[in-house]
Amino acid sequence: MSASLEKITATLTQLAMQKGAVDADAITVSNISESISIRHGNTESLERSDSQGTGLRLFIRKTNGVAFASASTSDFSAEGLQRLVDQVWEMAQISEPDPDAVLPSGAAHPSDEEIAIWKKEHPEHDEPWQTTQARDAAIACEAAALHASDLISNSEGASAAFGISQIAYANAEGFHAEYQKTSVSLSCSVIAGSGDEMQRDYSYRRAHAAEDLPSAKMIGEEAAMRTVRRLHAQSMTGGNMPVVFEPRVATSILGHLISAINGRAILQKRSFLSDALNLPIFPDFITIEDHPNHPDGLGNRLFDGEGTRCKPLTIIDHGVLQAFLTDRYAAGRLNSTPTGHASRGLTGDTSIGTSNVILHPGEYSPEEIYQDIGNGLLVTELIGFGVNGVTGDYSRGAAGFLIENGALTKPVHEITIAGNLHEMFAGITHIGRDLTWFGSMATPTIAFANLAVAGDDK
Amino acid sequence: MIELMIDSKTPFIDESLLTQTLNQMLCIEADDADLYAESGFSESLSMEEGRVKHVSASSHCGIGARVVIGEMSGHACTDRFDPASLKQMAQAAKSVAKAGKALPTIHLSRPNRSQPLYSQIDPTLSVNMATRKALLERIDQLTRAIDPRVKQVFANVSASFEDIYIVRMDGNVLHDARPLVRFNISVVVEQNGRRENGSAGGGGRYSLDELLNGSLPEYFAREAVRMALLNLEAIATPAGIMPVVLGPGWPGILLHEAIGHGLEGDFNRKGTSVFSGRIGERIAAKGVTVIDDGTIPNRRGSLNIDDEGTPTQRTTLIEDGILTGYLMDRQNARLMGMPSTGNGRRESYADPILPRMTNTFMLAGEHSPEEAIRSLKHGIYAVNFGGGQVDITSGKFVFTTSEAYLVEDGQIKTPVKGATLMGNGPDVLKKVSMIGNDLKLDPGVGTCGKDGQSVPVGVGLPTLRIDELTIGGTQL
Repeated sequence: MSASLEKITATLTQLAMQKGAVDADAITVSNISESISIRHGNTESLERSDSQGTGLRLFIRKTNGVAFASASTSDFSAEGLQRLVDQVWEMAQISEPDPDAVLPSGAAHPSDEEIAIWKKEHPEHDEPWQTTQARDAAIACEAAALHASDLISNSEGASAAFGISQIAYANAEGFHAEYQKTSVSLSCSVIAGSGDEMQRDYSYRRAHAAEDLPSAKMIGEEAAMRTVRRLHAQSMTGGNMPVVFEPRVATSILGHLISAINGRAILQKRSFLSDALNLPIFPDFITIEDHPNHPDGLGNRLFDGEGTRCKPLTIIDHGVLQAFLTDRYAAGRLNSTPTGHASRGLTGDTSIGTSNVILHPGEYSPEEIYQDIGNGLLVTELIGFGVNGVTGDYSRGAAGFLIENGALTKPVHEITIAGNLHEMFAGITHIGRDLTWFGSMATPTIAFANLAVAGDDK
Repeated sequence: MIELMIDSKTPFIDESLLTQTLNQMLCIEADDADLYAESGFSESLSMEEGRVKHVSASSHCGIGARVVIGEMSGHACTDRFDPASLKQMAQAAKSVAKAGKALPTIHLSRPNRSQPLYSQIDPTLSVNMATRKALLERIDQLTRAIDPRVKQVFANVSASFEDIYIVRMDGNVLHDARPLVRFNISVVVEQNGRRENGSAGGGGRYSLDELLNGSLPEYFAREAVRMALLNLEAIATPAGIMPVVLGPGWPGILLHEAIGHGLEGDFNRKGTSVFSGRIGERIAAKGVTVIDDGTIPNRRGSLNIDDEGTPTQRTTLIEDGILTGYLMDRQNARLMGMPSTGNGRRESYADPILPRMTNTFMLAGEHSPEEAIRSLKHGIYAVNFGGGQVDITSGKFVFTTSEAYLVEDGQIKTPVKGATLMGNGPDVLKKVSMIGNDLKLDPGVGTCGKDGQSVPVGVGLPTLRIDELTIGGTQL
């Protein structure tokens, strides 16, 4: 099976060249996944999915430059592949040549040696989990949550999932490689209270394999604890105040940074950081890196969507923005070296995507941060999409806890927090030492000097 | 009633394979079982920096099997239509059954169908790629000519067509063909170093010809530029609790977030929604009537049948302020002893069925929009929105403005920056004090996300005055 994915991908690029393409590359993905949901101790659903697809990018030479198109299919038969090539060929005839287009050939691919080392470091799994064990874990997880407190009144259930993906890339110059990714996850969501006084929260963990997950009991108890502590939340008096993000919500800040230094967005001036390269945008105690081969990260990758070898990259070094994230196209136009951040679906142009983004931890425990701040707000949940990437304007719904006299006190909800990401980044006052992984992002607690909090002023 | 010529086209999957697969998954314990076979494709053309740079297309084909026993369900799917893969799928779906005792063989049959709500024809056939490209080029030039401050223009035309067959446990085969088209434009403007953006778009279940060969693309282009230029003048939004007047149309996203999700059958059957067990209670001011209607012709959120084969319908969720109904799929309806409302939907064959909204809107009232704005002493008039989100258990919801104004003494003053508005689902509609006479449906832009599944939806609203919402501004 795995040998054939690489072969199908390579065949596709050869067929494209036979058709008359000037260059071509292709990506093939196969996924097998299973998930089991438990609610009140009974199986609620069993899901199994099995899918595959291959996507071709085909470039043609026109009188005034190179144009390309892309399309995908899940039909891997010889006829299916030829049909795909014919379709993309037709589509490329319509595409406008782009004088800045970068052909797939010539990318800095991983060497044979690097591929061999990768395969050794990431041995292939047949099954990251077994169905019966996953079901037992979900049952144990929910039971732990339900038994953790008398205040837990209902359950949205626990869910265990696992999957294997195989990713293959090939281009017309003869490079082809593939790698495997596995993931498992265990999550639980419960409800406390009743009627108008209901609160829900959850806990989840993801890992490469079942043995890397924390215990089901720990995840269930964490879900219960998070839920119960939200009971009797009220709105709060608004004002400008220090705001702390716990790690789970702090990941969203990394997400906003990544969007803002996306090389494609920079080209189009759709980012509030367009002019910030080599400038200090965070305080000097902040360092953020993208690491494509980290033992705790689920975003590991051997090569990006254009076959470019992925390497660790320091994005923010002691507060200074070191690089925009690029694929080959964006790098070409920004006169820089591609950073290996081409992200690619089966069709469409490449976009920019990270591997594992890590905000290096600081020296404070969360409690020390609350003490230092004195009075403010701890945010444990954010909702809504009020972030403007062009201006950095930020406004989202929030829930969390009041920080009063250096300690967490009352739960709060139905509040909003607002500011501007530029000022928020520069105004970080504390970084926790509680580095926490969420799949392909890791961050500790972050404290911001000042955000506008709106609540019930009555 | 007209019977559709649904069999004029060769189905993409062999009928004998469907019969065989259905019979492999049927078991005596099953309350429900179905197969959902889908063949679809989508095409997209994008213009940026003055060129059509991206032409992309994708096609997919797959089948999902489901067996439902009480509160339990088994799902499996595959994109391989060979007998071995289908058998493996059938057995995986059936694995929720303990005994799995087979039923007598079922033979497929096709019930008569009524008049479709939208064209059953591939929407891309009407306008070829070269014409789409020429249109994007024309729109790009036109948009840049509207104002010299326009620095970037991104425009996109996309179209998709899905051909689905639903095979139910009784052997009935239902078919739908679903066209969906969309035009979108966004611009970046710049003035004295300040950059802002604006966007507009729309579409529905009709042909590309209807979307592109009229005045709509130009209208959306002008709207995007108008909004971006307006944002250049926007001042910081006030923070705190204030009265808000919502404009007609897309601001109906309020209904979708504040009450729509909370009325979905799964949450109510499980008792996890703040609206659970409240049918018959007053949850909105008198005069507020909210409808979910999947039968409006050609709308983005409409469906001839839902993804379980149930015909869509017009469901009254709130009547004159009283909660009257939930949105139901077959499993939740059966468990709650209610009929399905035709709201069982799935993003694709690979996803499970969930109760979802179609087109959700409030009926018009008697006030003129001007009256509602004049009534604001100090408040916000919000005309356009980005996305929204809700916590269905606590009832707290948000939606974010993309075009809003400060109103002082009944007069519309300066535009204000995008801000999140927040409220509590069970309260917010009790705070409605004026309902406009100008009900409008959105231009066809809505996509709803739930459990990681995205489906197209519509919303609608007349001008509406709400006495209190929390405004997530920065100006304290």
